[in-house]
Amino acid sequence: MDHIDMNRLKQGEINLGTSIMAVQFEGGVVIGADSRTTSGSYIANRVTDKLTFLHDRIYCCRSGSAADTQAIADIGHYSLQMQTQVIGAAPTVLTAAAIMEKMCYQNKDQLSAGIIVAGWDKKNGPSVYNIPLGGGLFRQPWAIGGSGSTYVYGYCDATYQEGWGKDETVNFVKNTLALAMSRDGSSGGCIRMCVITEDGVERMFIPGDQLPRFWEGKEILSDVTKKPLAAIAAVMDVAPMAVEV
Amino acid sequence: MATAAVYSSPGFDFSNEIRNNFLASKGIPLPKATSTGTTIVGCIFEDGIILGADTRATEGPIVADKNCEKIHYITESIRCCGAGTAADTEFVTNLISSNMEMHALTHNRKPRVVTAMTMLKQYLFRYQGHVGAALVLGGVDATGPNLFTIAPHGSTDKLPYVTMGSGSLAAMAVFESGWRKGMSREEALTLVKSAISAGIFNDLGSGSNVDACIITANNTEMLRNVEMPNERVQKERTYVFPKGTTAWKKEEVRKLVVQEEVRLVGEAMDTD
Amino acid sequence: MSIMEYNGGSVIAMVGKDCVAIASDLRLGNQALGISSNFQKIFPVTDRIYLGLPGLATDVTTLREVFRFRVNMYTIKEEREIEPETFAHLVSSTLYERRFGPYFIEPVMAGLSKVATGGFKPFIAATDLIGCLNFAKDFVVAGTASSKLYGAAEGLWEPDLEPEQLFETISQTMLNAVDRDAYSGWGVVVHVIEKDKITTRTLKGRMD
Repeated sequence: MDHIDMNRLKQGEINLGTSIMAVQFEGGVVIGADSRTTSGSYIANRVTDKLTFLHDRIYCCRSGSAADTQAIADIGHYSLQMQTQVIGAAPTVLTAAAIMEKMCYQNKDQLSAGIIVAGWDKKNGPSVYNIPLGGGLFRQPWAIGGSGSTYVYGYCDATYQEGWGKDETVNFVKNTLALAMSRDGSSGGCIRMCVITEDGVERMFIPGDQLPRFWEGKEILSDVTKKPLAAIAAVMDVAPMAVEV
Repeated sequence: MATAAVYSSPGFDFSNEIRNNFLASKGIPLPKATSTGTTIVGCIFEDGIILGADTRATEGPIVADKNCEKIHYITESIRCCGAGTAADTEFVTNLISSNMEMHALTHNRKPRVVTAMTMLKQYLFRYQGHVGAALVLGGVDATGPNLFTIAPHGSTDKLPYVTMGSGSLAAMAVFESGWRKGMSREEALTLVKSAISAGIFNDLGSGSNVDACIITANNTEMLRNVEMPNERVQKERTYVFPKGTTAWKKEEVRKLVVQEEVRLVGEAMDTD
Repeated sequence: MSIMEYNGGSVIAMVGKDCVAIASDLRLGNQALGISSNFQKIFPVTDRIYLGLPGLATDVTTLREVFRFRVNMYTIKEEREIEPETFAHLVSSTLYERRFGPYFIEPVMAGLSKVATGGFKPFIAATDLIGCLNFAKDFVVAGTASSKLYGAAEGLWEPDLEPEQLFETISQTMLNAVDRDAYSGWGVVVHVIEKDKITTRTLKGRMD
């Protein structure tokens, strides 16, 4: 068989050109995502919720085709409800991830879906599973995904440390996503996060004008240009733009 | 087989596929169906939902219908605006409307908007975008007002104000600058009307009149042609041709009223 | 070249005062080559419904039989004649059944529908090739000359035309549009449907 173009989307399909992330810590997991849904160059939804409920303590982060990932998540949600009734107890994160992976692998020719499944269960505690584009199931302490993730692998490798608590993990997710969103044109908007622990699920929301900000380059202009031109000076007087642009 | 001819199996019939693919392979492009290059919108207000649509249907560059209806009936308190392939939006909303009625009858409850949304998205996902319907679904149910968009591939979004179709960018610009939380009925209707007008005047695929539909908990009001900014002016002259203008070679008249003459034959029956 | 231009042909229907008219050209071609100047595209469905089928000629013949069959089945099952509105939906459903392998026909219907008070109401409708209904209040057009017919009809049609006036209007619309379309022409036939009679006239027109 010839090479399969994994990034293909059906004509006119709505895309989650995305930055998604999940990180495990001592008591639970933190998952996060940007909020942009695009159709070509048009932002079809700027406040999307890509953190999708699968079970009481299991969520997934969706990237790829919006239609495909919603359909998979809906079927996953249904299967886990059935599973719960049969077993009489909450399913493990591994079970949920395996169900999702099976769908992604068996229908790989027709799907474009990259999913991260994360949550907490009684057997294994907190866990993060990455399911990349053609299928495959990988347990990782942290996982990133979507088109924006390619920009921040280095940052994650350099920053992540074991033994973090909740607040440090939340900050890590927030910073990573802000960096990915600022570099990737098809990611942006606001940040949505969930902290999943044994006690429950806490949702967090960072509006587009309150994202963490990093070096934005204006210092160079003022240092190099000793005597700024009138036009540049006028631009510099304006308050710096929010990074979601 | 007489039975085979009378009872055809349900669903689509693909038996022309071979012929049509043969023609396509000869380099003959298959013709385009009517599409509604459209502006459709929906927005949540204080006590319900307002849906809006323009009324132009196009076939390529031709305006096929100057005053078509794009707000379709799903149930009494759920309506759906359609953009995309006109036949698909018409039939898909009809099918789901029918299924929603059956659902309501079997469960003895008023069905929810999410039910219609799920039926629509699962149907559209099954056809992988080949059924080209882009929908704005809105309504009020036991859970309150609900508003969704459904894209042709079967993805859905839940938002307080939505636009779809070729005029969606123009309409969204109006919503983004004018929408506020908890608007009154009048404010929301004015906003919907100006969003559709933005599509009518700035998008070539949209035109003619504004339709709106206001759905609240216990009432649905369909406002057909609430605004008609493009009414045709009265013609200054008439162009009626005098009788006999057109020369014809042959005439045939088919009378629908049967002429019947009743004649009594023989003696009348003795009825004494 | 589109498949709709393979055989050529056009149909138009117009509403008048208590009457409707439907007209078509009579050409059957094989692309630029004319084959027949007596190819009927309009067929009576009931006494008061006429159906025009412009498009690919093989599908004209096929669909004519399909609709004859389905209307007969309806008449037998319901024990009454089909009404124009119902027939329009029958046409629409029949075409949409083949959504992913369509017939290359854009049907045009004209008829008089019964009203509760006992009279008749003019009815016209058209669909695209996959059955999207268009109920117009003035006129509907289809076929290779459709773009010209739109223009001519938009200028000439007016409300409440008497049967004889309607005949002149639809005839002039058709003749002039068809003269500017290479794939339509070779004679025109017009049917004017009134409550008590149907007048069918074959027009004198250019034969080139």
